[in-house]
Amino acid sequence: MKRDRQTLPIAAIREENPSLRTFRFDTQLEAQAGQFVMLTLFGEGEKPFSILDENADSVYITVKNVGPFTNRLFELQVGALVSIRGPYGVAFSLENKRVLMVGGGFATPPLRFLAKSLRARGIDYLVNVNGARSQADLLYVSDFEELCDRSLIATDDGSLGHRGTSVDVMQDILEEETFDCIYISGPERMMKAAVDVARKYGIPFEVNLERYMKCGVGICGSCVMDPNGLILCKEGPVVGHETLAKVQEFGVSHRDKTGRILEI
Amino acid sequence: MQFLGKVIPSPLTLASGILGISFSSLQRVIRDGAGMVTTKSLSLEPRIGHEGPIIAEFEGGLVNSVGLTNPGIDDGLLEVEKFHNEFAGVSIVSVFGANSEEFVNLARAVNHSKGDFLELNLSCPNVEDEFKRPFALVPEKITEIVTAVKAVSNKPVLAKLSPNANDITLMAMLAEQAGADGLTMINTLGHGMVIDAIARRPVLRNNFGGISGPCIKPLALKLIRDAYKQVKIPILGTGGVSNGLDAVEMMMAGASAVAIGSAVYERGLDVFKITRMEMEAFMSEHGYEDYTDLIGILEEN
Ligand SMILES: Cc1cc2nc3c(=O)[nH]c(=O)nc-3n(C[C@H](O)[C@H](O)[C@H](O)COP(=O)(O)OP(=O)(O)OC[C@H]3O[C@@H](n4cnc5c(N)ncnc54)[C@H](O)[C@@H]3O)c2cc1C
Ligand SMILES: Cc1cc2nc3c(=O)[nH]c(=O)nc-3n(C[C@H](O)[C@H](O)[C@H](O)COP(=O)(O)O)c2cc1C
Ligand code: FES
Repeated sequence: MKRDRQTLPIAAIREENPSLRTFRFDTQLEAQAGQFVMLTLFGEGEKPFSILDENADSVYITVKNVGPFTNRLFELQVGALVSIRGPYGVAFSLENKRVLMVGGGFATPPLRFLAKSLRARGIDYLVNVNGARSQADLLYVSDFEELCDRSLIATDDGSLGHRGTSVDVMQDILEEETFDCIYISGPERMMKAAVDVARKYGIPFEVNLERYMKCGVGICGSCVMDPNGLILCKEGPVVGHETLAKVQEFGVSHRDKTGRILEI
Repeated sequence: MQFLGKVIPSPLTLASGILGISFSSLQRVIRDGAGMVTTKSLSLEPRIGHEGPIIAEFEGGLVNSVGLTNPGIDDGLLEVEKFHNEFAGVSIVSVFGANSEEFVNLARAVNHSKGDFLELNLSCPNVEDEFKRPFALVPEKITEIVTAVKAVSNKPVLAKLSPNANDITLMAMLAEQAGADGLTMINTLGHGMVIDAIARRPVLRNNFGGISGPCIKPLALKLIRDAYKQVKIPILGTGGVSNGLDAVEMMMAGASAVAIGSAVYERGLDVFKITRMEMEAFMSEHGYEDYTDLIGILEEN
């Protein structure tokens, strides 16, 4: 198990849009798409982030500014020291040859990494549906166009691509074509809708889940899912269709920082 | 075998604070081979606990400063009820109060639950700023809290003791005199610190925390042995057990059952199944028929 904590400077910061930034760290984690790191900001806290990409020199994460921790991260400049540990968790599988990816909102970074990894392994056919509220919120449009055989877009307000959700577009595609596997990453409501469609067409799928994570290594219990006790930080965050069928809280409830159950 | 009158399939128990927030994880740990499970310590009100990092590893084990994150006694006991719903498994409900009155209220709440045992966490080192000196270090507090809880509780009561006490054997004897039905020992050691030299910072957000894992095993064995010689009530041993031989040693020192915490980090949840197999292999090789044959059989030089 590789679990060294590494303390290192932020090597570069790129602004994707006003609330979204990509941070580069010059280190190697040997991470795979879907895995995450725990990032420490000294004197602030420690939080989980998906790995956007890794190449021979660097690791990248993309962060949305949503609260105290991410606010603090957005105040930091290149050269500021932080600490990361990982990679943790189960990655997306890479065996499939005909693949559909369905992404929503800010949860697309792992899919971009996945598309790159699938291409590198040699895939027959790769289709991506990228959904967001509006054109300004869409991420990595040109990257997906480059990496995929077909790259489709859905926006709630119709400002680019299909007007509607990525799940609507997914449904249209499945009327015409079939796939070995569908990879889904997005807000949980969107993933729930996508899972229902995937099941209707009888196609295996993998989803990228999020739960409150504090230790990242399967000891504190904060990310454990009901009722089968899936330890998401170790046995996820990517979960396949067979396991997901046992996770009844999917799309229904999650637990807060204290462990109390909240509805989604 | 039995522990405090309950039949358990194995002496190996989930220690408090490891995964034990929800019924799902408690059931999971039983399915994965534990003989009993302990809940996270529950307080009257929900607690968020400390910011991360909450755990830091070092060569000898872990230093943690979780800070008693828990959903509060009401929601916590709902989890205990769900745990016991059409499910066979023995539970220890761990509680943590700021004074004996709170402990009494917690014990009353647990009376109405299906929880099998009540464990008093008298010794959490992670919230001293809030709660001052842990009760497990103060002889009069042990007597006061255990006496008060025993007066109202209808569950067998375990007092969880701290290795930081000047004389933990005295604490064990006082707990027994006050009516405790069993002891859990030991909780985490000291306050320890893990330092990140590059950052010139402690790794833990809270700077320091309780030490657990292999490095505290020799201390746990000695303290359990000392207490075993002075009290008649059973001891749930804990501290640095990560394999079958460790568990055998702890039972020989005097533990009637053994709780595993930090080793879940090292070995995953399989630790319960594997440790049990390792214990059984040792026992059959050396002619022990039952787990209970091991309890306290150490011969001192
Ligand atoms: C496996 C995983 C991968 C993630 N990947 C990314 C990513 O690539 N990019 C990104 O921007 N965000 C990602 N997140 C979410 C990210 O961890 C939170 O946005 C961040 O912790 C917010 O902290 P805050 O203090 O700024 O906001 P807060 O105000 O504390 O929280 C805002 C929201 O963030 C979520 N959150 C807060 N703390 C945690 C935590 N410890 N664990 C999980 N969720 C939390 C909660 O939903 C909360 O409602 C990921 C979460 C998980 C579990
Ligand atoms: C992450 C973590 C959280 C813990 N939380 C609690 C707790 O809530 N209540 C408690 O009584 N003990 C708690 N403990 C102490 C353990 O139950 C156990 O007594 C101690 O860790 C020694 O056992 P070990 O070496 O097998 O971990 C915690 C320990 C760890 C590592
Ligand atoms: S985050 Fe602690 S068990 Fe998963």
